[in-house]
Amino acid sequence: MHCKSPLLLILLSTIHFSCWKYRGSAPNDGDGYSPPAPPVKVWGYKPVYGVESTAKTISFTSSPRQVVSGGNIYAFQNYIFQVETGYGIHVIDNSISSDAHRVGFINVNGCSQISIKGDKLYTNSYDDLVVIDFSDLSHIREFSRAKGVFTEYRYYSPIAQPPGPGFYECPDYGNFVVAWQMDSVTQQCYKSF
Amino acid sequence: MTKLKYLNNIFWSLVLLSCEKTGDASANLSTGKGGSLSKFTIIGNYVYAVSSHFLYTIDISNPSLPSKVNESPLNFDMETLYPYKNRLFIGSKTGLYIYSLEQPSAPKLIGEAKHGRSCDPVVANDSVSYSTLKGSTFCGPATSGLYVYDVRNLSAPVLTKLIPLNEPIGLGMADSALYVCNANEGLKVYDIKDAYFPIEKSTVAGPGFIDVIPYDNLLICWTATGINLYDITNQLTPVFIKNIAN
Repeated sequence: MHCKSPLLLILLSTIHFSCWKYRGSAPNDGDGYSPPAPPVKVWGYKPVYGVESTAKTISFTSSPRQVVSGGNIYAFQNYIFQVETGYGIHVIDNSISSDAHRVGFINVNGCSQISIKGDKLYTNSYDDLVVIDFSDLSHIREFSRAKGVFTEYRYYSPIAQPPGPGFYECPDYGNFVVAWQMDSVTQQCYKSF
Repeated sequence: MTKLKYLNNIFWSLVLLSCEKTGDASANLSTGKGGSLSKFTIIGNYVYAVSSHFLYTIDISNPSLPSKVNESPLNFDMETLYPYKNRLFIGSKTGLYIYSLEQPSAPKLIGEAKHGRSCDPVVANDSVSYSTLKGSTFCGPATSGLYVYDVRNLSAPVLTKLIPLNEPIGLGMADSALYVCNANEGLKVYDIKDAYFPIEKSTVAGPGFIDVIPYDNLLICWTATGINLYDITNQLTPVFIKNIAN
């Protein structure tokens, strides 16, 4: 049992109406649908953890990256940004729309949102607000950070849950999930979609 | 096209110089513009963000030292955030909520329109707000479609029209046109010269329309296969420019 506090339990039980922790019998989620009771070991998603300093490092890759889980879009001057949910931000050069193309990727683990003011990009890395200076595309860097401000994102950011439905190993929210991999899992949470 | 955009940017920067606190979601040089599914927005010196149960206010007047100044518990299942002037329009699974930013560090709830449980992005201006609701297995039983609210009296929004749509998601508003992403059924284009009674003009075909940003003369669409760009010099008839593949 990784839940560390009653508060977390309350958060989990209220937020994750679609996700539940297996306790020996399948709950009815109200729609008349009950997932099958799992065996002791199942094939499912297992969280991969990173140490905080590494998990939260911001970097820029000056080559395009394939969009796997596209997220929010943002237009700013001659650029278009798109979140890669959980992993970072795609940068598109839109100086000439008929020739718009990807120019790079800002690596931000735990990222789901983006907004911009001036030459600063504001995003989230897990529950932190991160300010990124992109005044010089070749030197995109972390400018500042407010740690832990988005209380709920820690448990409910996209990367805090597996990418697909099924049983998964309940993550330890005291650590930072940097990816999910398929494995034989024993501790089981369930995600219905 | 680029020159036009440049001139338009200058125009907006001049307009906005005089009203620094204006968070109008129209394209401007200082803050750009986000899609309707966003949970982050910047108005003046503040970042506003929603998670399912909280509205966060972060002071960024000194970008090197951002600090949280407010965290308001909210009704359940906040979905999206849309800025207009000194107001925040928050779409949730249970309704539309309007917050005043008279005191920017402490947003205050001034109006709400409740509807059945559903997903709910929103765009708005002084007098009208448009929401899409998707009553699906995930999002609840409300009728799927485009909901048009008269918000001239902010404390009591009035539903003026409901246009049923099968899979509406993100939406975006230009001066005379409203664009509604309808997943695999394409992008719906509405004439909104009569703001409270949109008239369907055309449908842009294509796979998986999710969200949209009208950005000057450019329409930026997030689709399942990539970013699609359209010229909307004529706002009611988008002309395809480019697909930037995933």
